[in-house]
Amino acid sequence: MRAGSAIAAVKRRSASRASRLYLFVLPATLLFVVFIAYPILWVAGQSLYVGTSAGAVFAGLANYTTVLGDPTFWTVVRNMFLWGVFTIPVQMLIGGVLAYFIERHTHALRGFFRTMFFLPVVTSVSVISLVWVQIYAPYYGIAQEYLKHVGIVMATSPIGDPKSAIYALIIVNIWQWTGFSMLMYIAGIANLPTEVLDAARIDGAKGWRLAVHVIVPMLAPATKSLLLLGVIGTLQTFPIVHLMTGGGPNRASEVFGTFIFKQSFVLGDTGSGAALSVIVLVIALALSLIQIAVLGARLTPAGRQRP
Amino acid sequence: MRKLLFLATMILVAALSAASANAEQKEVTVWSWFVQSTMEKSIAAFEKAHPDVKVKYTYYNYSPEYITALKAAAASGSLPDVIGLQPGSLTQQYRENLEAVNDRAAKQWGDNWAEKIFPVNRKQMLMGNPKGDENYYIIPQESQVLCIWYNRKIFEKLNLSAPKTYDELKAAAKALTDNGYIPMFQGAADGWQNENVFLMLANQFSPGIVDKAQAGETPWTAPELVAAMKAWKGLFDDGIFQQGALGAHAYPTGAQLFAQGKVGMMALGSWWMQESKFPPPLSEFVQNMDGFDFFYLPPVKDGNPASPPVGGIDIGYGLTKNGGKNPEAWTFLAELTSGVGLQEALNDLNDLPAFEGYSPKGDITDHVKELSARFMADLPKAENQRFASPAVAEALDNALAGVAAGSIEPEAALATVQVATEKALAVK
Repeated sequence: MRAGSAIAAVKRRSASRASRLYLFVLPATLLFVVFIAYPILWVAGQSLYVGTSAGAVFAGLANYTTVLGDPTFWTVVRNMFLWGVFTIPVQMLIGGVLAYFIERHTHALRGFFRTMFFLPVVTSVSVISLVWVQIYAPYYGIAQEYLKHVGIVMATSPIGDPKSAIYALIIVNIWQWTGFSMLMYIAGIANLPTEVLDAARIDGAKGWRLAVHVIVPMLAPATKSLLLLGVIGTLQTFPIVHLMTGGGPNRASEVFGTFIFKQSFVLGDTGSGAALSVIVLVIALALSLIQIAVLGARLTPAGRQRP
Repeated sequence: MRKLLFLATMILVAALSAASANAEQKEVTVWSWFVQSTMEKSIAAFEKAHPDVKVKYTYYNYSPEYITALKAAAASGSLPDVIGLQPGSLTQQYRENLEAVNDRAAKQWGDNWAEKIFPVNRKQMLMGNPKGDENYYIIPQESQVLCIWYNRKIFEKLNLSAPKTYDELKAAAKALTDNGYIPMFQGAADGWQNENVFLMLANQFSPGIVDKAQAGETPWTAPELVAAMKAWKGLFDDGIFQQGALGAHAYPTGAQLFAQGKVGMMALGSWWMQESKFPPPLSEFVQNMDGFDFFYLPPVKDGNPASPPVGGIDIGYGLTKNGGKNPEAWTFLAELTSGVGLQEALNDLNDLPAFEGYSPKGDITDHVKELSARFMADLPKAENQRFASPAVAEALDNALAGVAAGSIEPEAALATVQVATEKALAVK
């Protein structure tokens, strides 16, 4: 009997402790509901209406069919695909190589190189856009000044040609964000267990073999994180495109961010802007789930994972 | 003890009088993209004339900051008392949040107040209103006239004069290019600058045709507009615009190069005069506008006249529903658009007035006075430069960029504008 009451008392205490623990989750839950869940639901609701806020009329899925029937939407999908396919692997590759050489082959100037390559990440996008517009400018531009010494004359600006505009913007994005990939890999390399590296060296692995067969696989968590962040970053692309081309010429470099902005704020068509936002949300969710399902959710640096 | 009591009493009296002064001080809140330094001068002049009113001005970049801030504030009912507006689409987007100002304006300036505003501005004030709605939701502060500015010092050096024919324009562009200058800087990555040049061209072929097209009275595929679109492409192909214009921005790149004397010509407007009032150091060209003069686009086809003046409202202001509850808000709006506030903006050469009877005063050279007088003489006969529907303006921007890039033919491009126009008119 005494044992039974003791168990009951423990259970009561445990239940009370559990309910107290829920209180700790409350602030984060409230913030999530107010700043994330409610806006998402509000936007989803708006996507079902057409007209202005004062005279909005329920239109069901009309905004979705309009958006999906708009050729610009498919230009945007193509641009986003190109953006993701080029920026994510190239940034990871260059960032990884930089991290490897900085961490393993520089000593006194390590801090200097880390800072220099990371500088574009913390530079204002407005400044980056202004500088790259000048770099790309033919005839009077910065690149042209150097190219003329080897007899090359730029006839057009890469961002002024519908065929090359998106690629020109992708190059700027890679230039800006490679430093972030580098930093992630530097953190990964710094966390590599030295005993594994020493064992590999004793087994005769060095140079290229050590990098490709030992270090790269052990940096998989950093790679997965960069992949996930890269996909999300791709879908969130806005300032560089808005400032450099405005989505032009003739919508050739439009991305989801600029398309949503134009529909909602320039054209005042809040309904289709909201429908586009919901579509982007669904795409982002689906891609994230696929990545987690395929690659796993282990995103912590190697050797630091909790058991 | 008595000293302490006296001190406490004095502090209490001071605190009470400060609180009382604050209670008497009325406040007007204003949002706009208007140049902050000029607005501060206008506000200072207003506060001097109305010492019991304090104006709190918030400056935003126009895009994306200003238009997103307006949207968010309108949705939450927290718009300021007075907001900066452009006529047509921007005003129409916020019409439901704005007070009709007809009665207040009539009381302020008399029953015939609208006649004191230049005709093109008056037309733009009603642009996009639903049929039968004759209310004014925007009061214009400044007007503009579009033109081609040229660097007269460079022209003089190269023995050139302001072109009067298309051949002379081509010859001037070639001479400028051959001598290492940018011929005519076009920021063709900016839709607004492309629209402006196209309006100059279209009104040359048939004055007022763009207005008719956007009202659905003439198709966008009319021969005059197709010809104007072909002439637009010609400006790129004939070397009038600089190479790579489609990737260039008028501001800040083009304006800086123009001010530094590296550009021969640029399609801007009367607002360019304000460069001479910016803080030093100023280039020899910008100083007192010594290096600059303007002309209208010469005939691009035999038999055409030169482009007529095109222009209208540069910026106007609206009284929000919140501002309608604050009597001082209208007082400020009135002074800003036709009073001490406007005069300060004009003295800063920000642009031309929207109301008749004003001219810039103060430290201004004869050359600038002459430029300003020429613009003012042309303003009453200016053709409209604004669009009632943002969707039509957007479609035209895309058509112009597509034709310039060679990715679409003029007729097909204008057909897309026609589709956008029909859609916009059907919604209305």
